[in-house]
Amino acid sequence: MEDKYSSNVLSGGKLGMVEVPNSRLTRYIVLLVVTKVLKALGIFESYDILKVVHIVQFIFILKLGSAVILLFFQKPFSSGKAISKRQWIKLLKHAVFSCIISLLGFFGLTLCGPLRTLLLFEHSDVVVIALLAVLFTSSGGGPSKTRGAALFIIAVICLLLFDNDDLMAKMAEHPEGHHDSALTHFLYTAIAFLGVADHKGGVVLLVASLCLKVGFHTASRKLSVEIGGAKRLYALDNLVSAVVLLPWVIVLSATTESKVESWSSLILPFGMIILSVMILEFYVEAICNTKMETPRCARYGAVALFLSALLLANFWTHPLTDQLRSMSKPAQQLSTEHVLSGGVIVSAVFFIMASSILSSPSKKGQKGTLVGYSPEGTPLYNFMGDALQHTSQSLPRFIKDSLKQILEEYDSRQIFYFLCLNLAFTFVELFYGVWTNSLGLISDGFHMLFDCSALVLGLFAALMTRWKATRIFSYGYGRVEILSGFINGLFLMVIAFFVFVESVTRVLDPPNINTDMLTPVSVGGLLVNLVGICAFSHAHAHAHGGKGCSSNDHGHSHHGHSHSEHSHGGHGHSHGGHGHGHGGHGHSHGSGGGGMNANMRGVFLHVLADTLGSVGVIISTILIRQFGWLIADPLCSLFIATLIFLSVIPLLKDACEVLLLRIPQENEKDLNSALEKIEKIEGVLSYRDPHFWRHSANMIAGTIHLQIMSDVVEQRIIQQVTAILKDAGVNNLSVQVEKEAYFQHMSGLSTGFQEVLAMTQQMESMKYLKDGTCIM
Amino acid sequence: QGTIHPFRKTHKSVFGKLKQEFRLVTSDRRSWRILLFGALNLLCTGCLLMWCSSTNSMALTAYTYLTIFDLFSLITCLISSWVTMKKPSQLYSFGFDRLEVLAVFASTVLVQLGALFILKERCVCLPLTHTQTHSGRLLVGTFVALFFNLLTLLSVRNKPFTYVSEAASSSWLQEHVADLSRSLCGVIPGLSSVLLPRMNPFVLINMAGALSLCITYMLIEINNYNAVDTASAVAIALMTFGTMYPMSVYSGKVLLQTTPSHVIGQLDKLLREVSTLEGVLEVRNEHFWTVGFGSLAGSAHVRIRRDANEQLVLAHVTNRLLPLVSTLTVQIFKDDWTRPLLSGTLSSSPSPVPPLGPEGYAIPPSSSALPPLLSDPLTSTPSKPSSPPPEFAFDTPGRNVQQVVLPAAGHHAHGPYGGLGLAYGASPYAGMLSQGVARPGMPSSQSYRTAFGAPTLPLRFGTSNPLASQSQYRQYQP
Repeated sequence: MEDKYSSNVLSGGKLGMVEVPNSRLTRYIVLLVVTKVLKALGIFESYDILKVVHIVQFIFILKLGSAVILLFFQKPFSSGKAISKRQWIKLLKHAVFSCIISLLGFFGLTLCGPLRTLLLFEHSDVVVIALLAVLFTSSGGGPSKTRGAALFIIAVICLLLFDNDDLMAKMAEHPEGHHDSALTHFLYTAIAFLGVADHKGGVVLLVASLCLKVGFHTASRKLSVEIGGAKRLYALDNLVSAVVLLPWVIVLSATTESKVESWSSLILPFGMIILSVMILEFYVEAICNTKMETPRCARYGAVALFLSALLLANFWTHPLTDQLRSMSKPAQQLSTEHVLSGGVIVSAVFFIMASSILSSPSKKGQKGTLVGYSPEGTPLYNFMGDALQHTSQSLPRFIKDSLKQILEEYDSRQIFYFLCLNLAFTFVELFYGVWTNSLGLISDGFHMLFDCSALVLGLFAALMTRWKATRIFSYGYGRVEILSGFINGLFLMVIAFFVFVESVTRVLDPPNINTDMLTPVSVGGLLVNLVGICAFSHAHAHAHGGKGCSSNDHGHSHHGHSHSEHSHGGHGHSHGGHGHGHGGHGHSHGSGGGGMNANMRGVFLHVLADTLGSVGVIISTILIRQFGWLIADPLCSLFIATLIFLSVIPLLKDACEVLLLRIPQENEKDLNSALEKIEKIEGVLSYRDPHFWRHSANMIAGTIHLQIMSDVVEQRIIQQVTAILKDAGVNNLSVQVEKEAYFQHMSGLSTGFQEVLAMTQQMESMKYLKDGTCIM
Repeated sequence: QGTIHPFRKTHKSVFGKLKQEFRLVTSDRRSWRILLFGALNLLCTGCLLMWCSSTNSMALTAYTYLTIFDLFSLITCLISSWVTMKKPSQLYSFGFDRLEVLAVFASTVLVQLGALFILKERCVCLPLTHTQTHSGRLLVGTFVALFFNLLTLLSVRNKPFTYVSEAASSSWLQEHVADLSRSLCGVIPGLSSVLLPRMNPFVLINMAGALSLCITYMLIEINNYNAVDTASAVAIALMTFGTMYPMSVYSGKVLLQTTPSHVIGQLDKLLREVSTLEGVLEVRNEHFWTVGFGSLAGSAHVRIRRDANEQLVLAHVTNRLLPLVSTLTVQIFKDDWTRPLLSGTLSSSPSPVPPLGPEGYAIPPSSSALPPLLSDPLTSTPSKPSSPPPEFAFDTPGRNVQQVVLPAAGHHAHGPYGGLGLAYGASPYAGMLSQGVARPGMPSSQSYRTAFGAPTLPLRFGTSNPLASQSQYRQYQP
């Protein structure tokens, strides 16, 4: 059922890649399934063994054992061509890498338990490569692959977050004497340093080592060709890694005492693990990959492996399986270890679905362009274009170019610097919040981050404004600025609305607020925002004075330590009006005209709102501290919300007018007088359809139709009209000059009765006008 | 008092105007229904918000925002019915069609911002301990909201949103559902008529949101899994984003006055046709954009040969573009338009080119031609009955052209083209012209003209008396 999800109609009709029917492959599929089940069994058993045997010893024994068997089967030294010295060095590197990867894998096994290891680590290369292609390239291969990738990620997240493993709590206390080598100790401390529990650290470790493994497999392909076949490489690799691990094992066994009572009882399980995990799986995979397609092999293998892992995890602690396992263990310890939980089951289901979707061959990865039709009438597509068009520039270069562009112009430079400052403040706040484990700081940091999105929008719009006009954006990108101002206005409206609603609920039920930490945070925010106001005040007709400017320099450096001094773990829980506010400066909106830049106005309003939000917080903190008026805080935010709302309305109104193509307000009079002047030009009978609108901050576009007498030179009229309208501010003009002959031609050309009627009517009106002017 | 007065007056008039417009809208019977649904929606939204705060469920809040979006869409619907009643005013010369687009854009952006808020809340609350979600009214709220949303969607004919949802590119939700249902149809072919057509994105997101809320409810009831609430809130917010984003991109592009990409092919074809018209040199500064949903407006500058007939070319260009572009302005542009009269007088002379003329007519004509040129455009008195000769004297002496063109124009004006159709209209016309011209024209003069005429003409006027022509040019300007 699941693999049907990605198949399309074409493959159902046998037009796509033809798969070999299952019946011929039954043998191989059965073989594969059996191998996978055995492998799951082996992994479970090795988890048990790893509790007593040290991980390096364990891997050494595995490598050595499989090397012996493989040497017997493959005979890498007697057959094939001799191996040169350079190849031996390469082999050595290869072996070191493979040792590291298997160390990581088995270490993850000790952390997460066998089931989770199987789910995370045992993915086929095909699946992982498809996943990475979806995540990091644009041409992932259609929605089905995207779905598969999403399922995979959700499954990993499920394991990370929703998997309430009982062992997690036990491991969290982290007994120092538990691990017995420098390596494990180092890994443990590294994971503990990251601040995640061992189990989650294991998940992360396994995912990372999975990616490593896939990269390693891809990289070792060349070496395998050089050596002479994958099997020979595998045999030699096992041998060399055993040799590499040998000194370590000797040192280890010399320094630490073994926990193993009798090595002889471990021979059988070790043999089984070597056979199932190392040898059998390798050979069967190789056979199946040649007999079936790799994706299909991966699909069946993954399903079999995961299902058997689930079953085994369920029954491993069951008394029935006690005779199956070689190690007898005290029961009470096992029952709590890495048990099945809902999260694991869900993620296993998701992993199965994801691997089956991702490993299914993509049938519609390419997008063809229709070239034409063949003589038979079937459409012809061109698939080359897609590959050729992807000459995208590299990411660093793109960043460098856009940075250069940003810094070129004043507006975008201002926004960029302020954004950097804001982000720096936010991250200081966030890190300090994490450091002192203060939720109030963290949540305020998130608020600041959220506010930064408006700045990012403004920055992007300021950048886009300077792009060249294209076929689609024929007037240029200047209008983006206005649209971004409009969106920022809407953003502020939404913020005001939420603050309003929240403060109304708070007025009804004022919560108790811990004000310990509010002041330093809001003072810091205030100082940062004052810098912003300073930077952006030029966008505003309003003079905000140099007072803020002069105070910001020493103020900012001051805020750094004042902030870190004060915020010691107090929970500034839910302080209302989190930095959103607006002062009562009734700013005159851009009716003054001249360089009305909606984008900068929107950004400015945002910064202003933040600033006065912090002012509001400071004031309400003082009120609460001094007088204990708890209601001051919601009232303050109520006031702030209203102010934001009122201050945004002019911006929204202006942006709306521009977007609705109104005649620009500040040029209205000029335009009217210009139109009167146009009517008075000699030879002009009348004008119709005068459209003038502001396209962007510095472009007013216009179109007008003129009717002139038939004996006047059109170009002269056009020149005069253009000059007149240019004086009125219109700098992108099209003038259509019509004479009576035009209407005659048009009525001749037009097809329908209606059009002829309309044209003749227009002609009549023109005649009438001409008469009128003649009389005058 | 004097300063207060106008302010109060405008303030009053804003409300008065609103009231008047509202009355205008409500005069239509159909808008009553919208208002009724709006009232129901408000009621429902209020209930849902109450339940949201009582269940403390973020997912239900995210779903409630969809109900609020329905309210916005109803308002958009009212606006669109108001727009149809309004005529273009003097200030808003393109009419109010754009208000519809703006309303669609604003409502989609607002919903996306709401979803952003949900995401932010989740981000902020993630480090906090999970809030307890009470599942009490969750299911009831879900079904009430779903019912009302679907009722509103299906019973109110929402013209602007229907248009946008059809015209915008499909969202990722739609794409995934289409992909899934296509493979499902591979299993059960009978479902193809139900599943294969493009899904309505609003219905889709309502269903998907309700589904995820149901799952949330089940998991909370069964396992007391409160983290699911967060997950499903994020999922609903992401789905809202996915659904609304293409629509806001589409309407935003309309607002940005861009050429809609689906008409570019058609436009290119028309512009190619235009540039092959007789006399047209190039088409430039072409701007085409949509006024409201659907109706195109545009302007273009057409550069024509100096001797082509401006009105004729204008008529042809307009005729080509008008079926596609309803509000069209074409500016005809000529290089060095001060000279056509000169060349006209020159070409009407029997031997126009200096090397040809044995009489030595080359230098004098400039002086002899100047007086009419000066007098004619400046006074713009109808000294000459009409000006076809200069326009059509491209290859031959003026007399010939007069013979040919005038009947053609007359022929044209009486409209035998009425039945010929659009595409056929121009080409025979141009062909006939050139034929008519070519037949009487002497082959020798033609070849001379093409060989020498073009380069020598500008040279002569550029070198002999540039100052004179400059000064004349200045004089024309008022």
